[in-house]
Amino acid sequence: MVSRQTTAGQPIAYAASAPKYSTRIASVVRSPLYQHTLGAAVESRIGRVLLLTGVPLLWLVMMHLGPIYQMLKISLMSHYPVQQGVDWHYTLANYAIFFQESIYFTPLIKSFVFATAATAATLIVVYPVAYYVAKVVRPEGRSRALLLLLVPFWAGELIRTFSVIMLLANRGGLNVLLREIGWIDRPIPMLYTSFSLGFGLVYLICLYMLLPLYSAIEKIPVQYMDAAADLGAGPFTRFLRIILPLSKDGIVSGCSLVFLTCIGVFATPMLLGGPNTVLFPETISGFFHGASNKWPVGAAFALIMLVTALFTAAIFMRLVGGKKRSAF
Amino acid sequence: MSDTSTTTRRKALQLFGIGAAALTVPNIIRPRPAWAESGVLNVTTYDKFLPQDFVEKFQKDTGIEVRIRLTDDQGKQYNLLTAEGANPSTDIVTVAGHRYSQFISSKLLQPLDTGKISNWKNLNTAYQDAPWARVDGNLWGLPILAGYEGLARNVDYIKEAPSWEIMFDPQYKGQTSYIVSDFMTIVMQYLGHDGDFVSYADKRDVAQKATNEARDFLIKNKDMVRKYYDAGSEVQQMFINEDIYLAHSWSGPAAKLIMEGHPIQLSVPKEGTFGFCYTLNVVNNAPNAENAYKLLDAILANPEVGAAMTRQSGYSSTMNGVGDLLNDREKLASTLPQEQVDRIIFFSSVNRDMKNELIDRATAEVKAA
Amino acid sequence: MRGIFSDGPRTALTAFYWAFLLYLLLPLTLMMAMSFKDASFVAFPIGNWTLDWYGKVMQDKQFLDACLYSVMIAAASMVAATTLGTWIAMLIVAEGIRGRMIIFALACLPAVVPGMISAISLRIFISTIDMPTGTAAIILGHTVHAVPFVVVMALTRLRSMPGNLVDAARDLGADNVVAFFRVTLPYLGPALLGGMIFCVLLSIDDFVRTFFLGGYRPTLPMLIFAKVQGGMSPEINAMATIVLVVTAAVGLYAEYMTRRARTR
Repeated sequence: MVSRQTTAGQPIAYAASAPKYSTRIASVVRSPLYQHTLGAAVESRIGRVLLLTGVPLLWLVMMHLGPIYQMLKISLMSHYPVQQGVDWHYTLANYAIFFQESIYFTPLIKSFVFATAATAATLIVVYPVAYYVAKVVRPEGRSRALLLLLVPFWAGELIRTFSVIMLLANRGGLNVLLREIGWIDRPIPMLYTSFSLGFGLVYLICLYMLLPLYSAIEKIPVQYMDAAADLGAGPFTRFLRIILPLSKDGIVSGCSLVFLTCIGVFATPMLLGGPNTVLFPETISGFFHGASNKWPVGAAFALIMLVTALFTAAIFMRLVGGKKRSAF
Repeated sequence: MSDTSTTTRRKALQLFGIGAAALTVPNIIRPRPAWAESGVLNVTTYDKFLPQDFVEKFQKDTGIEVRIRLTDDQGKQYNLLTAEGANPSTDIVTVAGHRYSQFISSKLLQPLDTGKISNWKNLNTAYQDAPWARVDGNLWGLPILAGYEGLARNVDYIKEAPSWEIMFDPQYKGQTSYIVSDFMTIVMQYLGHDGDFVSYADKRDVAQKATNEARDFLIKNKDMVRKYYDAGSEVQQMFINEDIYLAHSWSGPAAKLIMEGHPIQLSVPKEGTFGFCYTLNVVNNAPNAENAYKLLDAILANPEVGAAMTRQSGYSSTMNGVGDLLNDREKLASTLPQEQVDRIIFFSSVNRDMKNELIDRATAEVKAA
Repeated sequence: MRGIFSDGPRTALTAFYWAFLLYLLLPLTLMMAMSFKDASFVAFPIGNWTLDWYGKVMQDKQFLDACLYSVMIAAASMVAATTLGTWIAMLIVAEGIRGRMIIFALACLPAVVPGMISAISLRIFISTIDMPTGTAAIILGHTVHAVPFVVVMALTRLRSMPGNLVDAARDLGADNVVAFFRVTLPYLGPALLGGMIFCVLLSIDDFVRTFFLGGYRPTLPMLIFAKVQGGMSPEINAMATIVLVVTAAVGLYAEYMTRRARTR
């Protein structure tokens, strides 16, 4: 977005400018308030470790684990909500249901296949766009090029889904156009198929791929590519040997975001799918939305999904992102 | 010191300035919870159910501040009340007929004391003490709208639909849609079973067999259906866009299309169907129950409210005098020939647990098949 | 960039970008066109055109109030989530930290929890810590949801950040704080900006958490969902169009001002 000249190739420029920090920062650093609080804390090793770990760990444990702990508790209960006079006990039965019944198992597998395919498709479609904005567009035009891509997202997920419906329906924009120019007599059913699902999914989710890729590609120094070109490498070799490896972090991040979102959360694109696209989140929400009270089973299923999804993402990161500093 | 620890220190230092503000965001503000104040009434309901000028007049007359939480779906209301447990932040909820018994059996509602509602007589007599509404000897809500599960069709393409059978006619393959769980009970009726489970009270085996039969029938005919939908707005859009010609639909969403002049017709096929009411209910442990009764009374005193609800939802009003406020098209949309009205059975309130359990499970099986 | 070999890919990329932009904008153009339709449901053909929906929406106090409230919540949760997310990312890449994988998995957790379950568990959680529902709770809920996105975005740059950048600054006498603000933060710039965009988008798209954690003052998505429940009316399209046009105008204006400030 903001095109800063912060490429790895120019550390010297930074080093040279570093001591000349603005007077505002300098005055904060020199102020007694700073010296006696943060300044003092930094002096000791414990203070530094606490500063680094304290807030993040507190937040993660409190706010990320806390609510999930509630769900874990519910998932182990035989009844929830517990009413007066009803006997309840802790049990693993809610988890057992998942492994006993293929009607619950199949949607999870479908979900994984679906999320993987969606991730791959999004990566392939979005990569050239991210590359174009980050490297082909002149630096001063980049923000505008990105802004244009961002515009549709402010309409909100639901509205964007309905606009895809307006485009693909039997009496939607595309079919009306095709009929007007006389290519077809009867509308082609495009909505509620795997085509419309894929179309809509990439439409809704591409930003989660675009921004990580952009931020990773943008930092690749132009000099590297120029040097490779000078050495006679063709565009394809340059891409494969330089750009792709150097944008790895963006690929890993983008794929994780798209994969995790697709697998667990994304309910809206299901409005575009047909009767055969029932996925696991819908199975889970069935337990919460259905008329029979099955919170514990739903909670157990949600936890099963969480663990498998995070585990898959972690394996993926280790495989692709591996090696030195990433250290996953 | 090793190399590693110096780097850790360095990183630690980098973290310095950021973030102190973030942790202070929650917990800093601890106002007195607004939902427990005395001059307040919290209502969870659908958009435009309570007309703006009615609410303003009520606030002026009583001095009670009405706070409205807009909902779009029953599951959310139920889950929220369940999560809140003994300290609900809502006084009045709007419950749909098929959820009525679930809310009651989960102890989320309090019995309605009709003695506190002086305008109770303004309710159509058919709804003042309906058998379905009385559970455990009590009434639990004020019926506001009545509807049924109908067969909706696009009359440009389908002239007549006397039987549910048409939903499985190969001629309309890929042009039908339904809500799986609701349609399952209709299919049970269609196949000659008891879709409302009233007669299955002690006969789990029979019920299971009947459900399985309906389930297998739907799975066998899965290629007939264009889409399983959930929300009324979905089926409306599918009809308008001509993605489907036939659907099982709650009467409200289809009636709204008719009011707008779309070529849609609603009917009750010969195998019959189920009816239900939307009710306004006072929540168990409601912080402002007295104010809630005042609002219910005011709603019954003013047919304009009933008319607004009908216009917004498409369902028929249960209140006297509303018909005079509707225009012809609005009236027509929510009217059925008497012979079809006679085919509507209201959802019962007995044996719900068995019904919900078996139907929910069969629904998951149909979807996963 | 040079010679005949690189021009082919360049043209292809340019064409691809514009095609992709068309793909993004085309459905929305239809959506916007529908906001001028004189009927209660959106559909083709548009038939009679009208501006009435805009008049109605612009006078709708509830809509304007919901917009402001959404912006407020989005801004607050963006600040909180960006700060926390960056902090957590710094912890993940810090050397000598054990259990990176676990910290990372923990950080990503809220991104995988389906909305309804997240909303229910947050609702139960805030009552166990005795926090009232309302604006603060909504902001907290949105922050929890957005943090993973910031963490992942920050990692796109942090993990491959050349260590010598910070080292060089330190060697030249820069305090660590200064090194963070002058070196690390600018280096993270584009990634964090992306993270912030995610925060705002997640916040203005969320309505389940908002419904559970507050809800008596509707946010924009709550209002829109409630309206969709009564049928897809051009009124909703008019609302979305106004939001789109305003945000696009603000964005382009901000971009224009930054560019002008920089070239001076």
